[in-house]
This record gives sequence, structure tokens and C-alpha cells, in this order.
Amino acid sequence: MRNRTFRQILVLAFFLVPACSRHEDPNRVVIWHQMRVDERVILERQLSEYMSMHPGIRVEQLYKETEELRSGFIIASIAGQGPDLVYGPSDMIGPFKVMEIIRPLDTLFSREYLDLFIPEALTYHEGGLYQIADKLGNHLTLVYNKELVSTPPATDLELLELGEQLTVDINGDGKTDRYALAWNYTEPFFFIPFLTGFGGWVMDEDGAPTLDSGAMVEALRFIQDLRDRYRIVPGEADYNIADILFKDGKSAMIINGDWSWAGYQKAGIDIGVAPLPLMTATGLYCEPMVSPKGFSVNINVPEAKLELVLDVLRFLMEPERQLETARALKTMPTRVEAVSSSFVQNDEILRNSAIQISRGRPMPVVAELRAIWDAMRPGYQAVLGGSLTPQEAADAMQALALTKIREMNE
Amino acid sequence: MNATTSARTYHRLFIFFLIGPAFLILFAVVLYPFLYNIVVSFSNMSLRHIRDWSIVGPLQYVKVFTEESQPDFYVIFFKTIVWTVVNVLFHVVIGVFLALILNQKEIRGRWLFRTLLILPWAVPQYIVALTWRGMFNFEYGSINLLITQYLGLSAVEWLKSPTEAFIACIITNVWLGFPFMMIIALGALQSIPHELYEAAEIDGASWWHKLRHITLPMIRPVMIPAITLGTVWTFNNLNIVWLVSNAGEPSDNTHILVSFVYKAAFNLYRFGYAAALSMVIFVILLVFSLLFMRRTRATEAAA
Repeated sequence: MRNRTFRQILVLAFFLVPACSRHEDPNRVVIWHQMRVDERVILERQLSEYMSMHPGIRVEQLYKETEELRSGFIIASIAGQGPDLVYGPSDMIGPFKVMEIIRPLDTLFSREYLDLFIPEALTYHEGGLYQIADKLGNHLTLVYNKELVSTPPATDLELLELGEQLTVDINGDGKTDRYALAWNYTEPFFFIPFLTGFGGWVMDEDGAPTLDSGAMVEALRFIQDLRDRYRIVPGEADYNIADILFKDGKSAMIINGDWSWAGYQKAGIDIGVAPLPLMTATGLYCEPMVSPKGFSVNINVPEAKLELVLDVLRFLMEPERQLETARALKTMPTRVEAVSSSFVQNDEILRNSAIQISRGRPMPVVAELRAIWDAMRPGYQAVLGGSLTPQEAADAMQALALTKIREMNE
Repeated sequence: MNATTSARTYHRLFIFFLIGPAFLILFAVVLYPFLYNIVVSFSNMSLRHIRDWSIVGPLQYVKVFTEESQPDFYVIFFKTIVWTVVNVLFHVVIGVFLALILNQKEIRGRWLFRTLLILPWAVPQYIVALTWRGMFNFEYGSINLLITQYLGLSAVEWLKSPTEAFIACIITNVWLGFPFMMIIALGALQSIPHELYEAAEIDGASWWHKLRHITLPMIRPVMIPAITLGTVWTFNNLNIVWLVSNAGEPSDNTHILVSFVYKAAFNLYRFGYAAALSMVIFVILLVFSLLFMRRTRATEAAA
């Protein structure tokens, strides 16, 4: 009886296993993305349009927070599952390529088609094309409240001068009621423009970290001075605090990305977007990281379904759809036709955004960047927390980055 | 095959089909992942070896205990113990205290207080954690406003200093966790026969004596499993530490073991190492639970 029961369990398991395998409905396309709410609304509308043009085809979109999207896609695709298309910033391409969970796209699209995009939209890694972007940027700029700032600072000296005027104690209680500038102190991504302004970068051409440079020390010292010496930025700020300060008029300017502009306009703030200032000591502009955001194709998409998946992708990449998003959210399109449209060329915010992009540096797509962010975070926070000097922090960042990269690649 | 054997076989088959689905689900969501985790913990699975991983023996376990990491394993382990003990202690003390008050029949509108006190438990942890993080802001957070304006003390750098940030995480989790213990204790209190208190009163027992010799022993069989469960949950509570301290800030100084595992697995893709560390956590909790249950004789008392 015991053997028989065991056999019965095996038989039942045998029938259940196929039910757990990748569910292949040839007429259903699934997209995972990390688009924010206003982007999602547009995506949903565009997908509805696609489905009404193609009866019988179902395209589903599922939002996941960036980290959850990354880890969820890795787990799912390694197990032979996952969505057909995954959408996110280009820095996820590095680990995805190493793990071989996304398809190379060069062979799937003709050269003529790819030439319809600006070159920055196509993310190549280790010789293959792995992502096609519909938006370019994801970049930081100087966002200012036009009611408080008539002309944004073009250099660090102008920033300090303007900062003294804008930082005020309105009610005379000895506490600052409005700061000149705010940004997120917890994420090193927001520190990159200062690093580049002093001539530094996160890694060399071989992908080895370069965090213990003189530029790093100078940049850390500069932001420390902004807070402790000039006192024109708040004592403590993460993303939410900086965002709220700007929205409440308690900060006249904020360093924030293109994703935030529409939200500020919606909040009723008359914003201006300006390129980040020039550092007079080095003669270099503060260059943020610039990265495309786009789609990659899951390695598990079967050949039979591939054409449908690519058709959805092509549909979403059409210039009119990119322009729809650009008009609503001030995002930079990637199709040459859309970029050269009169709207993009004449819109004040998009014009300045384009200047900032041209002064930006492409975000590396190598997997090691994860380890470098992780290594920068403690040192960056420790300097602002006062527990390390800029030099100590730079040395600690470099040592930690080397350790983490070694651990990651073991 | 006679009729009796056939009936018995049919009966067994019937039982099998009743427990079969539950067994399969348990196998799929508990047993298989657990066994797979054990296998991965002996492997070199990582970013560079995600598909071609191989068994490398106890190497990852050796790394867990000997590798110089930042932060150090033993420091995080110590912090995890502090985190668990302090949290569970406050959960139980506050929970039982409030349950004793709410169990008093003289209190009017007990349902209202009960509802209000359960609220922390009802709000999603994500919302709670981010709200508390905002409240701990140095300049604009309500905690510091309270401290400076009403208590006349100087503001605390809650999220900038390692110790204060860790305390901020504990405060948030204490606020979140006491309603569970309160509900459990309240249920246990309501099941104590009132005659026991009447008899004690006749014997002239004081409030303290009644608490010590009737209430606490009577709620003990219910509270011990709840404390065990609370300990395991708190030990493994990733959300609060991760969200309040924003992934271990400042400078990775507020990690507990489970947030460290998460970081190793999903930030640095060290799956083998993370699996080994998970097994270490599992063994710690298993040993604790067995010892605690045996020492307190909780299962005997419940039986």
C-alpha cells in the first residue's frame, strides 16, 4: 500500500509539473516595468490602442519597483519564466547579459530600423545590442522655483552667491526656514555631478574603481562645505525630504531627475530646468550620469512568439507614441524624427534637458557598477554624517569597491 | 480482495486525496525551496556562475564565519540579538500591560480603545516604516520637534548616527509589534475563569498576588508560543530595518542578519553565500525555538 501511495503521489506530481512550467499563450505578451504612475497611465492607454488594432492579442503590463523588477526578473528568467519584455534603465543590462537572461537584439532588427533611433538609445554591451530605449536621460538637472530664482546659477561661485541670498530665516527664530538647494544625500547617484565637476569618475576603462582620486576628496569636501560652512543646504535630506522641501517652497532649488519635473508642475510650482553649474576651479561642468530607459527581450521568449513581442515593441517605439509621453512628462524621446520635432526643439524644459544630456556621461552598464554604488554609499553618508573625513571616505570607498567587486565576481 | 480490504484501501485513498493537495503545496512552497537552498548554500552560485554553478563544499559557510566583511558577521549577529530581545521584550510587556487594562470591565468604550490599539498592526508595514522615517528627520521630523519644543532637549540625529538609527528602527518595530501580543494576551485573559479571582479575593489576595499566581500562569501557555513566533518574526523582520534605515544607513551600520542576506543576494548576486547565511539563521532560530519550548514546557502546558 505504501508503494502504491508513493506511485500515486508521483503520478499526481507528473501532471502538476507541466502546469508549473512557462505558460505560453501565443497571443499574450507580458511587460514588466518600473514606470511611475503617470508613465504607466500612458503605457496602459497605448497598449489598449494596440489591442484594439489587433483583436485577439492581449498585452499586459505589470509594475515593479526598480530593485524588485531586477531581482524578480533574474529569478523568473533563470527558472525559464518571466515576462516577454522587461523595461528599465540601461544599467540593468550588465548583470542581465552576464546571466544570459536577455536576448541580443542586433539580429532581430534591421540596420535601417535601428538607424531611426539616436545612437544613445541603443545599449550595446560586450558586442551585442541588448536594449532599445524609448526615453533618454534619467539624468539629474538643476530644477528651480521661478518665483524664488530668476536666473539659475551657471557656476559654483554663482551658486554660493545666490545661495546666501536664498537661504533665509523668515520668522527670526534662529532656524533656517528656506534653503537655497536640496538633494538626496543618501544615494551616491546624486553625488556624481559633483565628482565629475572636479574631474573624477567612478571607474576606469577596464571597469576598475577609481574612487580614491583627488577629485573624489575635493567633491566630498565641496558638498560638506555647502552644508557646514556656507549652510545653504539642509543638514539632512533623503529623496523624500528634499522633494517635500522643494514642493513646500522650503528649498528654492533641487537637484533632481527628469522623472520629477511633471510632478512639480502638477504640484503647481512654476519650475525652470537648468543645466548643472560649472566648477570654476576645474573649468568642468557638473556632469550627471545619463542613461537610456528601454526594453529588453527575455531569453525565454519562444521563436514562435518572438515576432508578436517585437511587433509590440515596435509599436511602443513609434515617434508619435514617444512624443505623447514627451508632451505629457517632458521626457526626451529617442527616435530621430521625434527628437527633431518642433515640440522637442522649442520646449524650454526639453531644450535645457538636451543641453544637460549633452553635458552628461553615459552610465556604465557593467555589472560592477552595482558594487561601486554599494561601496560609495557608506563613505558618502559617513562624510555627511561627520564620522569620516573626505580623504578617509575616499580611501574606504576604494577598498570596499575592490572587495565587493572581488566578491561579486568570485 | 475481500470487502474489508477494499473498504480500507478506499478509505486510505480518500485520506490521500484529502491531504494530497496540501502536501503538494507544502512541498512546492516550503520543502522544495528549503532543500534547494541547502544545495545552493554548498555551491558557488553567483553573478558569474548563475547557470554553470557547481558544488564547492562548505566554502560558503567558512566565508560566513571567517570572511572579513563590512559590516562584520559577528557584529551584525550581536545587533540582531539586541534587536530581537529588545523588540520582543517591549512587545510582550506593552502588549500584556495594555491587555490587562483593556480586560477591566469598568473601562467604558473598550472596543474603541481596542480598535485604536490594533491600528499599528493594521497599517501596511511599508507605509509605517516610511512614515516613521520621515518622523525621525533631524530638522523637520515630528520626533525632534517634540523633543526640542516640549521636552526642552536638544535634537537627536536619528538617521545620521549608527546607534540612533538602530534605536529608531527598534522604536518603529516596537510600535508595530505590540498589538499582536496585546490581542493574544487579551484572548488568554478572557479565557481565565472568573471563579479563580473570586476565590483569591475571599482568601484576601492582593492585586499583585492575583497577577502573579493566577493571571500570569494562566496566560503563559498561550504567550510562550506567541513569544516564540514573535522572536522568529522579529529576528527575520527585513522590512522595518530596510525601510527605516534605507537599506542599512548610515554606512551599512544598521543591518540585522536578514537584511545582510538580502543585500548579499540581490545587490551583489552572491547567491551561494546568501544561501549559506540563510541556513545559519535557520539553525540559530531552530535551536532557539527548541530550547525555549523545552525550557518553558510550552507544548506540554498547551497539551
